Amino acid sequence: MNRFAFFPGCLVPTRYPAMEFAIRHTLPKLGIEIVDLEGTSCCPDPIYFKSRDKLDWLSVAARNLCLAEEEGIDLFTNCSGCTATLSETWHLMHENEEIRDKVNARLAKIGKEWKGTSRLRHIATLVRDVVGYEAIRETVVRPLNGLNVAIHYGCHLLKPSKIMNVDDPNNPTILEDLVRALGANPVRHDKWYLCCGKACSNEDLPANMMRDLLTTVQEAEAELLCLICPTCFGQFDYGQLKVAKQFDEDFHTPPVYYFQLLAFAQGVAYEDLGFERQRFKPEVMNRFKIREPIEEPAK
Amino acid sequence: MAESAGKKKVVRVDFAFRRELAEKVEGNLASFCYQCGACVGDCPAMTYTDDFNPRQIMLKVLYGLGEELIGDESYLWECTNCYNCAERCPQEVKPAEVIISMKNMMADRGQYPPGVEKVINAFLTEGRTVAMNPAIDKNRARFGLPPLSPVPMDEILILIEASTGEGKES
Repeated sequence: MNRFAFFPGCLVPTRYPAMEFAIRHTLPKLGIEIVDLEGTSCCPDPIYFKSRDKLDWLSVAARNLCLAEEEGIDLFTNCSGCTATLSETWHLMHENEEIRDKVNARLAKIGKEWKGTSRLRHIATLVRDVVGYEAIRETVVRPLNGLNVAIHYGCHLLKPSKIMNVDDPNNPTILEDLVRALGANPVRHDKWYLCCGKACSNEDLPANMMRDLLTTVQEAEAELLCLICPTCFGQFDYGQLKVAKQFDEDFHTPPVYYFQLLAFAQGVAYEDLGFERQRFKPEVMNRFKIREPIEEPAK
Repeated sequence: MAESAGKKKVVRVDFAFRRELAEKVEGNLASFCYQCGACVGDCPAMTYTDDFNPRQIMLKVLYGLGEELIGDESYLWECTNCYNCAERCPQEVKPAEVIISMKNMMADRGQYPPGVEKVINAFLTEGRTVAMNPAIDKNRARFGLPPLSPVPMDEILILIEASTGEGKES
């Protein structure tokens, strides 16, 4: 078993426990042992708290990294915002001696020191790099063959690419490949690269952007919109409903967090995945049945 | 911007603004901007508003035109934080980071939009951006998940005390 510390952040454990359930269910099947860290805080968020004071933001983030260092293991996040904060903190602490000294002086007051021994991964890269697409495919008992899935990458999984180091931000494939491993068919909508708009304090800007984005999702005839960030999820669930009403559009593509899709493909019942709480329910998934063991194709 | 940088009006560089900005983490990056405009094309805030233009914002930073950048109604909060500008910049200016540094300057003056302040206060109270309530743990239990532990706020507050009390350090 590969052991990794789990950094759950705020949104998934408080607002979307079904996503946390799916992560805790699917990772052990992929050979990942989850280690819970005691005393983690908000990452802190890379939009609001970072706007208040970057040095405070770095200090609290470095404390979270120290908790994994104390366990002697790497850590993974389930939210692109947490990934942005913790990756950028690791990067700045590593590159910039002045920042490192300032932050470590603060950490010393609580008996901690950032050493840089624990690296951070977004959960999508954890399964890509540590598990591998083929090993994911082998855990699938309910293949989603023919399911047309649009992908929303969001911003902070990919950018700034020099810090995130996940995939080519101009033509990423990681989420398409992860969806393909479940048997589904990724479809790329024209405006796949747009931002969800959640981090913007203006109201009209995100609404108009979402309208453009969702129009191309409809055109691509996607049955689901797969994503990997709880903030983006909110924008595509409640946010999609709001934008549809505002512009009198028929937007209706259910958003699904990748690990819930994976759990379903691994055989977890639809009813156990909390979809009834979504504004747009991914009922199209119900057409897929768990395959009989005899149909397992020979390698 | 065209007006303030135009020929008829003399632009006086406000070095006090630039010095204050340079004290912020990565606040000095705009100095490397040569105004190529690579940041403009893929900027969602540029595409979907009339007033937001990352190249012009960097130019105003170079001139130190603080009064056009920060304040109660600052349009800098329209930035979506998508980092396309940082991705495109040949000079590694990271306009999004320079904008965040200016937000730090506004925060020093108590100038936040209400939505931003709400999330910050939630964090300063409980260490999470979402305030705890009994429904959260009940909902977690439905999925077989344990209740959430409180965040050790004593440690968090020690880490940030320099900026919450008097005599704020840079």
